[in-house]
Amino acid sequence: MNSEYINKTHKYGKIWMVVTLLIFLAIPLLISSHLGVTPKLEMIGKGLATVALVFYPTAVLEVLTYSPLLGTGGTYLGFVTGNITNLKLPVALSAMESAKVKPNSEEGEVISTISIAVSSIVTTVIIAVCVLAFLPVLHNITDPNSAFAPAFQQVTPALFGALCASYLAKHWKISILPIAVLTLILIFKGTLGTGVLIPIGVVVSLAGAHIMFKKGIVK
Amino acid sequence: MDFKEDKFMIALAMGIVLLVISQAVFFLIRAIKRAKKLGIEKATIKNTIVSSSLFTIAPAIGIVATVLTLSAGLGYVLPWIRLTVIGNISYEVTAATNAIEAYGLSGGIANEITNPEVFATIAWVMTLGSIMPLILIPILLKKVQSKIGKTVSKNNAWASVMSAAAFIGLIAAFVARAIAGKGEASIRGDGAGILSVAALVFSVVLMLIFQKLANAKKWKWLESFSMPFSMIGAMGLVMLLAQVLPQNIAFLEWRG
Repeated sequence: MNSEYINKTHKYGKIWMVVTLLIFLAIPLLISSHLGVTPKLEMIGKGLATVALVFYPTAVLEVLTYSPLLGTGGTYLGFVTGNITNLKLPVALSAMESAKVKPNSEEGEVISTISIAVSSIVTTVIIAVCVLAFLPVLHNITDPNSAFAPAFQQVTPALFGALCASYLAKHWKISILPIAVLTLILIFKGTLGTGVLIPIGVVVSLAGAHIMFKKGIVK
Repeated sequence: MDFKEDKFMIALAMGIVLLVISQAVFFLIRAIKRAKKLGIEKATIKNTIVSSSLFTIAPAIGIVATVLTLSAGLGYVLPWIRLTVIGNISYEVTAATNAIEAYGLSGGIANEITNPEVFATIAWVMTLGSIMPLILIPILLKKVQSKIGKTVSKNNAWASVMSAAAFIGLIAAFVARAIAGKGEASIRGDGAGILSVAALVFSVVLMLIFQKLANAKKWKWLESFSMPFSMIGAMGLVMLLAQVLPQNIAFLEWRG
């Protein structure tokens, strides 16, 4: 990969991250000052304690698991806008598949960045427009009793089904093990969320693929 | 006017929208320029942009639904801000509920927050609880990427299998949840059942059909759009199934 392009992406990415962090921290500060209140540290600490206990270690795991998949530019962008597993990663995967580029190549890096940037812009615009202009209409669409509700409840399996078809066709040998192991885990502990399942799935899949690669089953 | 949705809050949200879009546009322009230098065809770049936009629409409306869920208690502006930056439903609901419970209030986010101090505390907890990636990435990313780079240059064949395996591990988590994941007993449609498996199967089948069609008819454009079309098509078929099947069968969730 061209190190100059990647190095510059790191440089710009870091600048954007620091700017975002500062603005991000300014939000509650500005809200507090606008409302003329000073929230008690004790209350923030109480609320934060359980959240941090779960989400801080998860954040470390997420950065280590997703950044190799998102690429450099995609990671800097994707982690700012969030919704990584349910949106940014599948969009990047789909784009790289369609463009027929390898994730670890520079072509993969730029296609992943383009798809995540476009997805971030479209998501941000859709949320803003829907919230400002269509809130009453949306209530009808997303209401649990509306005809559209079952479709939106199943957006994730619909999204991953398409990706799964594409990957299964090419890599069915390494796909069976992680799907079987995770399904088995869920049969015993059905409430486990994707935050826990993804790292397990990635480790199982990598271990299985490594053995198959060594034995010459996959090339 | 409700302090949660006043002009100040909307201006704050618009500022965040501007920040996120500026950053995305900055990276988009750089990546397009680089793609052209690498010799990637204009049509490929255009298809990536259009298909990524299409792919995003349905999940983005799903995110709007999250804003609606949170808006009962928090108004619509704070959830809008939060889901524009590092947003994620499971985190946002947990953080808001914990902050509310710190004040000894019951009912979580279902009840409207009328106390400005509680509201500001929620904003702080939601923010501080989710800043970790913004701190970690500038420190860790280059090191993580350089380790991967070394593996790739050492053994290219294994690196290719490794990246496919990592993606499959991720996809497997969502496939397994659609087959055997448990939801909340009180919420319809969140656990594995007829509709989740139907969405998965419809999407797989549609994808295979579109791929066959694209190959047989040599429709290059369909290759780029087969994934978003499969996803939207599967969602449409799920909607139809929910209407056609008897309710007790359509909404059957074997894992609750």
